[in-house]
Amino acid sequence: MSGFDAARNGRSAHAKAVLGPELYARLADTKVLLVGAGGIGCELLKNIVLTGFGHITLLDLDTIDLSNLNRQFLFRKKDVKQSKAMVAAKTASAFNPNVKITPIHGNIKEPHFDIAWFKQFDIVMNALDNLDARRHVNKMCMAANVPLVESGTAGYLGQVQPILKDRTECFDCVPKPTPKTFPVCTIRSTPSQPIHCIVWAKSYLLPQLFGEDEDTGGELDEAEKQGENAQEIAALRKEQTAFKAVRAALRSSESQGQGPSAAKMVFDKVFQSDILNLLSMEDMWCTRAPPTPLDFDAIVNHSFVLQKRADAGSPNGVHTNGQTSNGASAADASNATQENGANGASSSMAGASSSSAAKLKDQKSLSLKDSLELFVSSTERLAARVRAGEDTISFDKDDDDTLDFVTAAANLRSAAYGIPGKSRWEVKEMAGNIIPAIATTNAIIAGLIVLQALHLLRKSYNALRNVHVQFRPNLPLSTIRTSLPNPNCGVCRDAYTEIQCDPFRVTLSEVVEGILGSGEGDEDGTGSREVSVYEGQRVLSDPDWDDNNERTLESLNVTRGKFLTIVDEDGEWGTIQVGVGVLPLNHPVDGPALILPAPLPKPPRKPKPSTPTSAPVEPPTSVKRPAPDDDDDIVPLAKRPRTNDDIVSLAKRSRTNGDLDKSDLVTPSKKRKLDEDGLLLLETADETLEDVEVIEIE
Amino acid sequence: MSTTGESQDIEQATSAVTDAPDNKTRRYDRQLRLWAASGQSALESSRILVLSSSATATAILKNLVLPGIGHFTLLDSAIATAADAGNNFFLNAQESIGKPRAKEALPLLRELNDSVDGEAVLTDVKELLKTEEGRETIRSFSLVIAHNLDKDVLDELAGLLWADLTNPPLIAVRSAGFLAEFYTQFHEHCVSQPHTDGTPSLRITRPFPELLQWARELDFDNVDPTTHAHIPFVVILVRAVDEWRAKHDDRLPITPAEKNDFKAQVRAMKRKLDEENFDEAEAQAWRVWFEPAVPSEIAALFTLPPLEAPASSTKTGADLPPSPNPAFHALLRTLNTFVGSPGGPGCLPLSAALPDMRTDTESYVKLQNLYRDRARKEKEHFTELLTDIFPNVAQEINEEELDTFLKNSHQLRVLRGRKWGEWDKDKAAVVESLQISPRETGTHLALTALSTLLSQTPDGSSVTVDALRAEVHALVGKDVELPEEAELAIGELARSPTAELPNTAAFLGGMVAQEAIKMITRQYVPVNGYCVVDLIDSTTGVVGTP
Repeated sequence: MSGFDAARNGRSAHAKAVLGPELYARLADTKVLLVGAGGIGCELLKNIVLTGFGHITLLDLDTIDLSNLNRQFLFRKKDVKQSKAMVAAKTASAFNPNVKITPIHGNIKEPHFDIAWFKQFDIVMNALDNLDARRHVNKMCMAANVPLVESGTAGYLGQVQPILKDRTECFDCVPKPTPKTFPVCTIRSTPSQPIHCIVWAKSYLLPQLFGEDEDTGGELDEAEKQGENAQEIAALRKEQTAFKAVRAALRSSESQGQGPSAAKMVFDKVFQSDILNLLSMEDMWCTRAPPTPLDFDAIVNHSFVLQKRADAGSPNGVHTNGQTSNGASAADASNATQENGANGASSSMAGASSSSAAKLKDQKSLSLKDSLELFVSSTERLAARVRAGEDTISFDKDDDDTLDFVTAAANLRSAAYGIPGKSRWEVKEMAGNIIPAIATTNAIIAGLIVLQALHLLRKSYNALRNVHVQFRPNLPLSTIRTSLPNPNCGVCRDAYTEIQCDPFRVTLSEVVEGILGSGEGDEDGTGSREVSVYEGQRVLSDPDWDDNNERTLESLNVTRGKFLTIVDEDGEWGTIQVGVGVLPLNHPVDGPALILPAPLPKPPRKPKPSTPTSAPVEPPTSVKRPAPDDDDDIVPLAKRPRTNDDIVSLAKRSRTNGDLDKSDLVTPSKKRKLDEDGLLLLETADETLEDVEVIEIE
Repeated sequence: MSTTGESQDIEQATSAVTDAPDNKTRRYDRQLRLWAASGQSALESSRILVLSSSATATAILKNLVLPGIGHFTLLDSAIATAADAGNNFFLNAQESIGKPRAKEALPLLRELNDSVDGEAVLTDVKELLKTEEGRETIRSFSLVIAHNLDKDVLDELAGLLWADLTNPPLIAVRSAGFLAEFYTQFHEHCVSQPHTDGTPSLRITRPFPELLQWARELDFDNVDPTTHAHIPFVVILVRAVDEWRAKHDDRLPITPAEKNDFKAQVRAMKRKLDEENFDEAEAQAWRVWFEPAVPSEIAALFTLPPLEAPASSTKTGADLPPSPNPAFHALLRTLNTFVGSPGGPGCLPLSAALPDMRTDTESYVKLQNLYRDRARKEKEHFTELLTDIFPNVAQEINEEELDTFLKNSHQLRVLRGRKWGEWDKDKAAVVESLQISPRETGTHLALTALSTLLSQTPDGSSVTVDALRAEVHALVGKDVELPEEAELAIGELARSPTAELPNTAAFLGGMVAQEAIKMITRQYVPVNGYCVVDLIDSTTGVVGTP
């Protein structure tokens, strides 16, 4: 035995004693995909390297930020702005020469990370911080039938969930809460809470001034259809057109050296003209307090006084900002607002906002004049960046210029509407969706992830546990046995299969008929039957609508990494998800354009369900309009004539494809199917789908 | 980035306003949102002694260096082995083998955060315990953490630190394979920021004059519909209580029937069915019968018996019983006086924090100002009392500590601890615990037995199932039948008596560092007792709580 072998043996002695020689030996050949090299990812990478996993693929799309360094311990100050995956792999590799770490600086949702790619791994570990990516990896693991350990942390809380298709619940078996949204008019004309003003500054004003030059009229069209106040919408349209001028001013080099003219132009437009414009609609302000237009010069020379609320009637100076000279920071009022739980501050901030003496610099409140000055300076900084060649600037909580801009604009708007202000510190948390994060919780979770991974690899399924790190001194962990999949889950209850194909040559019907097969024997599918075919939210065909059947997958935008969803028309067979992969590298050029899986998938037969639930549950990708309650009007039963509502939505779409016969867009049988599934017709505003005839469903 | 002269001027002019956070605030941003600047400053002034530089010890330390403790000392005379190199991330792998472990780990730990000061001392703690100078060194830290320390040495260390009320707390960690436990030894731990979501009283049944005046003078019947639909629930309830008392001999609703009547009365105040502020008032009606002047947990603190100071203990103040937390107790006593004071509200001080409620901005801000002004007045009264009773404390305490104490006066915590190992001497309690929590107690006993055996044969050669079982029986009594869970723990430890597994180390690193942070920041409620960890089943449990 060489000296190195002796050392190698020695270094693994402990692990072998506990894992047993058999499992330990297998670890060296085990291929792990670790998605995310952030807080949990760094800890996890260290643990799996130490545990003895031999092949690790580490993927992360992010770069290192200074605020990562309090927990992402594989990074140093000198690594800031570098790729997380690359740096983490380099730091961890140095520790164990026997481990092969393959870092990928990329997005897990890229099309080449398809089913075949996922299948090369023995286990996948999620160390992600966003719902969308976590759901995506979950689905890919269901499709590739690879065990997954899912995890997340928030402050002192965290959880670990082992997932194995058909054995445990998948990530989507339990519905996840969707992000909160606000009505357009609340954001654009009638805010009542600080968060409304922050959303306005971040998602409306900043993109209007520094984002892509796009017509956002669509949003207003939508809002109008949703029945929001037509008069308000008209005022907002007027507001829209005036943006062109200020956008131009911000980009014009002539505005340089002439004082803060461009920033003042923006200020005058959004905090004065637009508000005056809204005020001119007196109806709007009968039942709510009207906003006060702000006066730039008066604020600068301390002579500005916010109008006293007509109905405030407060005995002791309620609107401190309004009734005192605005130059001095309204410290008293802001102390109150710091503790204002009503206005969106999360409970996690209770600790952070409680102290008065030890307040951090950016925790202090801004006076009206402070906000104005910050608005001017941040607008100038952003304008300078645009003039220096930056195409578009979007909000990033770690980009000081955008954070300052959003803080200032939100506070100015709050002042105009008599809403309490927020400090830069608070705005960062609210606008950046910041979740507190510390090293300890990540360490605990990462340790638990590997333990669940070992159970999965050892196939000791009875030992699998969902573990929650909770906030109880007497019981730090809550441990529960895993449950069987939710029989109605729209992700893990589908039958997954994969085709290899050339999307330029293969047609939709070739794929669908190929997958359905002859139905003879056990290996040749279910045989031909009436089905509807979807990609994500889009309907591509159904029994009475075959226009797309002879089109190529490529022309339907069904390419590598996407799924075709085949839903049985009568709900008697389970849904089939067909992953689209590419032909093998050695495939002859003149070979067939489609390689079907063998055996063909045979989803479970179901008794005819009263409420089929086989539709995809992807989150909506665009603004959607739920149908009115009286959905018979919008989704008629079979053979009923189409109503006016349908014509409107269809006519709009037909503009993008003149030769299309409208009646083919929504077939009666599809409507019946949709109706049975509880699905409703919706608007689509997704530009990328314009060349394909689709209906969005939910 | 090109900027014009003008915009630079503006930037300069406003730099005092914008105050972009410094690099330190940026680095610590995510944790500051949990424990705030006060917690951070407590961390930064802490000095931590860590006995051992094992994988577990360095994992704990990593999680303390990252958030920014002030100083750490690694005290360890061990030489790194091949096994160390395989499980300890804070060694230079193969290169460290044969070199002093602590010295190898030090630079890698310091590299995590350059604002943390650290040193490696290559001495065995036994040596320090032998001299008074060494013992004084140990006592000078703010916290001592020990991993898998020899049983006798741990006993001696625990005794040293228990000897005086003002000595630092000790966290003793033991682990083998998938099993582990940790225990924090402290005399008393006072928490003024437990973050327990306790709801402070809104004074619905004890309204202060300005609030009562608003509720009484508001013309509920004649305000316009919009205003009516936005009356804050607090005002609605104060009004309803006022009216109820007028009709019921100044009594509050007590019986279930009365409570239902009260809710009906609130419902009857509605003008329209969809007035959600009245729905909210009805939903919050519990505050009317559950707003004690002083919650029982806090009343219990007023009558807490004084700590029994060890004979060797130094005094902590002439006017207070001995305690490691004299200032907290001074505040607690003042709080008791405040509640009974004729010039006070007859209950705990008002918290300025208001919950979310359905109302308009004007009313909300008005209500907020009322509460804030009132809270300020009560704080002034409290400060007067404090100055009167404890002039020294009043002079030394900083504004923020006082505010924190008052704001959290409804959820203050005082934990009393026990000496390490003391519980095990109470055989009856341990045997009872073995029946109630067989897994946790069995694992605790097995780990204790293991450490006894390892102190005789450090290589683990004497550790067998029989030997472990015999040791456990020596602890609980020969005729006590061991539950299956205890046997499983014994079997597991016999299988891997000295194995330190990276994932167990990582897990403990997080758990123990978390407890250390709670002790240092005096925020959040720490585990009190033996926290037993079984990572085969991913469970934890606590036994031996005083």
